[in-house]
Amino acid sequence: MTETPGIRYYDLRQVSGQSTHVDVDMGVIESAGTTFYNKAVIRVLGPRGWGILQIDNYTPVSGKKFEEMLASAEKLALVADDAVNLGDVPRTIQAVPPVREDCRNVSIEEKAELLLAIEKAADRPLVTSRRANYLERIENVRFMDSSGSEYSYECCRSGFSVMVVASRNGTVQMGYEPDHTIHGFNLRHREDMGRKAAEMAVSLLDAGLAKGGKMHAVLDPELAGVFAHEAVGHASEGDLIEEGNSVLKGRTGEKIGDASLTIVDDPSLHEFGFEPVDAEGIAVARTEIIRAGKVNSFLHNRQTLAAIGNGVAGHARAMPGKPPLVRMSNTFIEAGDATDEEIFAECKNGIFLAGSRGGQVDPGRGVFQFNAEYGYLIENGERTRMVRDVSLSGEILKTLHGIVLCGKKRVMHSGYCGKGGQSVPVSDGAPLVLLRDAVVGGSGVD
Amino acid sequence: MRWWVAVAWIEELFKQGEKRVDELEVYCFSGTSVSADLKQRRVSLCSSSIETGLCIRTIDKGKIGSSSTNDPQQWQACLDAAIAGGHLATPQEWRGLPDPVTLPVEDLAYDLSLAIEPAMAHDLLREMLNGAAAHPEASVTAGGAGIAAGEITFANSHGIRYASRQSEVSISLEAISGQSTGYEFDHAFSRALVNPERVGERAAFLASRSAGGKDVPSGEYDVILSPMAYADLLGNIFVPALNGRNVLQGRSKLAGRIGETVTAPLLSLYDDPHRKGAGGSTWFDAEGTPTRRLDFVRDGILTAFAYDLKTAYRAGKGSTGSAIRGGFAGLPAIGHHNFVVDGKRDELFDEPAIYVHSVVGAHTANPMSGDFSVEMSNPFRVKDGALAEPIRGAMISGNVFDLQHQVVALGKESRPVGSYILPPVKINKVRVIGK
Repeated sequence: MTETPGIRYYDLRQVSGQSTHVDVDMGVIESAGTTFYNKAVIRVLGPRGWGILQIDNYTPVSGKKFEEMLASAEKLALVADDAVNLGDVPRTIQAVPPVREDCRNVSIEEKAELLLAIEKAADRPLVTSRRANYLERIENVRFMDSSGSEYSYECCRSGFSVMVVASRNGTVQMGYEPDHTIHGFNLRHREDMGRKAAEMAVSLLDAGLAKGGKMHAVLDPELAGVFAHEAVGHASEGDLIEEGNSVLKGRTGEKIGDASLTIVDDPSLHEFGFEPVDAEGIAVARTEIIRAGKVNSFLHNRQTLAAIGNGVAGHARAMPGKPPLVRMSNTFIEAGDATDEEIFAECKNGIFLAGSRGGQVDPGRGVFQFNAEYGYLIENGERTRMVRDVSLSGEILKTLHGIVLCGKKRVMHSGYCGKGGQSVPVSDGAPLVLLRDAVVGGSGVD
Repeated sequence: MRWWVAVAWIEELFKQGEKRVDELEVYCFSGTSVSADLKQRRVSLCSSSIETGLCIRTIDKGKIGSSSTNDPQQWQACLDAAIAGGHLATPQEWRGLPDPVTLPVEDLAYDLSLAIEPAMAHDLLREMLNGAAAHPEASVTAGGAGIAAGEITFANSHGIRYASRQSEVSISLEAISGQSTGYEFDHAFSRALVNPERVGERAAFLASRSAGGKDVPSGEYDVILSPMAYADLLGNIFVPALNGRNVLQGRSKLAGRIGETVTAPLLSLYDDPHRKGAGGSTWFDAEGTPTRRLDFVRDGILTAFAYDLKTAYRAGKGSTGSAIRGGFAGLPAIGHHNFVVDGKRDELFDEPAIYVHSVVGAHTANPMSGDFSVEMSNPFRVKDGALAEPIRGAMISGNVFDLQHQVVALGKESRPVGSYILPPVKINKVRVIGK
């Protein structure tokens, strides 16, 4: 440990890696290639807050050079005037699960060919545009801190998306299918994804507009997962709680949802948001944000754990070269015991909402919004007419009481989440759920 | 742009590269920045960064390859990777990289006197806090101030050697009063052009004045969208439809409609890359094409789409100087420099309406059809020429392509919102969904 006066703690996180992409558009390889990067973040905790250096193209240094680097971060820390303490928490690293097929063993030519086949599979009448992207990132992460803790690991995230546009008489609709994974190369035998995106775009041409208003809604696992992420996940992030910018602040133990509702964030799960260890070198663990309808546990880094407690650290995450923030990883609603038939029957008249075009939340106000890819009206417990462009908004503290039935099978979907200018890989999931008295937005009129 | 200072490795790159491919270009960036963050009223961290990087693009018999790295010493490996990527690309119609022209030497969006120092970030935060103190019932939750400057070096095998400097000051503050939140921000290339005190005052004002909102019944209302709310809807839905690549590939609702009326006749939309005082101003685009004003919509009539070299050559057109990059590692893509919404200005608040400060979830709209339904943030009733009682929460929905025809007035003051410069707008008969 370096004995620099005034430095209470420091850490260094370096990420070097390469990313390979292929972009195909209407049967043409638009671009393909590899980029290389190497970024480091050095954080120093001074007497009253953090000084942080972000360095591109970092070459490891030691001895006097290292001391000088710490000293310049310490100088920055002197600008801060905050009382910061760090929670004492376990430090272990989990193994990165082995991949089924290593992306590095597949030539970029073959990747492009497979991607073209997926895009080609979307070719059908009424489809006017097809596009597909492949992206893989192989990253080497090295971490060390002033307590002597050190770790390193390599992780590869790869995946693709296919986007299809269909049009007829001036009506234009799209279908979008992504699949990102930590389990290795995933482009083989996936033409079904192209067909699925095309089917969605074409079907939506005939869908009507939903009429907005308050109604019962059945959410498919993908959309219910986005609900867990937007309506509960962000508001449970320790930094927002500490700032006083979350409606969940001070509500530990309070019942805000039905007793059948449990919502979890688990970075140790082998899904797209997996982290073997967090960005502060802390062990990752399953965190039950809501347990049986009650506010149970917040998501923390070391600082927010020490400041407010009631939660689990190990949720610090960062993009290469950026300082860590408290983030979600794999967020989901636990499966329940209702059958699909029971859920639709209980809904009786309302709307079935499926797929996701993303969402957003204002955690301080406790208001969220997210958009379904498509939906169906539910009349007398049966799915009837298809509708499009349906969104859902609500208030966190009221809406959770509305989730009264959860299905038996949980499904996860991968994607990316943005916060503070950083985008990190995440997954969301849920079973089929029934949400009573949902506020549904649509531009249809009587 | 600045005078070119010879960089040895760049000349060596062209010498080696020209033996292997028809044409090549290199885009280099280096910059420094300092930022400080607030947690409530205290400075919780201060951070500084050093950024470097380069992106090489090669063109050989219509095949385009590219690669990037943030280690300039690795330019040879980067060149190899770009050429390898090019082998794979589908050949396309290509009529050459741009030739050099004489451009003005003055940098358009750079403040030489800007100090990239923690003390300035600290001062900006203090001034925002002073401004927020005007509304003591609101508490500050978070905020940030950042100062950055950088230099772009751009060269190609046709002899272009351009350099330019740019700077940015950005500030933001978040406040809360009960369960009512307020957010405000400002950004410009010079310290003198941002107003931290006003940002602080506005964030606290929004939080404090929005408390105790009343419900609004569903129905059709005249709505005033703030510059933020309008920029969010335009940027996510309307502007992508002006992108030449989307037009060419069947992903734009505006394709084939040049000469037709696509907005209310009082609206004009254009890219103004030489605008004084604007953060996106530049003499050349991300591919070295000289920039120029590009009128997308003039008095309601669609007049042009935006093109970079690649898409222009495919579409049988010329580049409109619209190439931009998302950082050094980003390939050139079609965008804009300063997107301006303009037209005759009016008083907006003289009749009853609903004012919407920002919207939650504009990125979830349907960019193809233009349909959206989003939650309003900080909505107010407008009465007697001013903001009256706050509205608790509601959604607005509709179709952005249709709403453009329902714009009835533009407010007097424009402001920058990201790469947009626009006033508030009044739109008639917008559907509001109450709770």
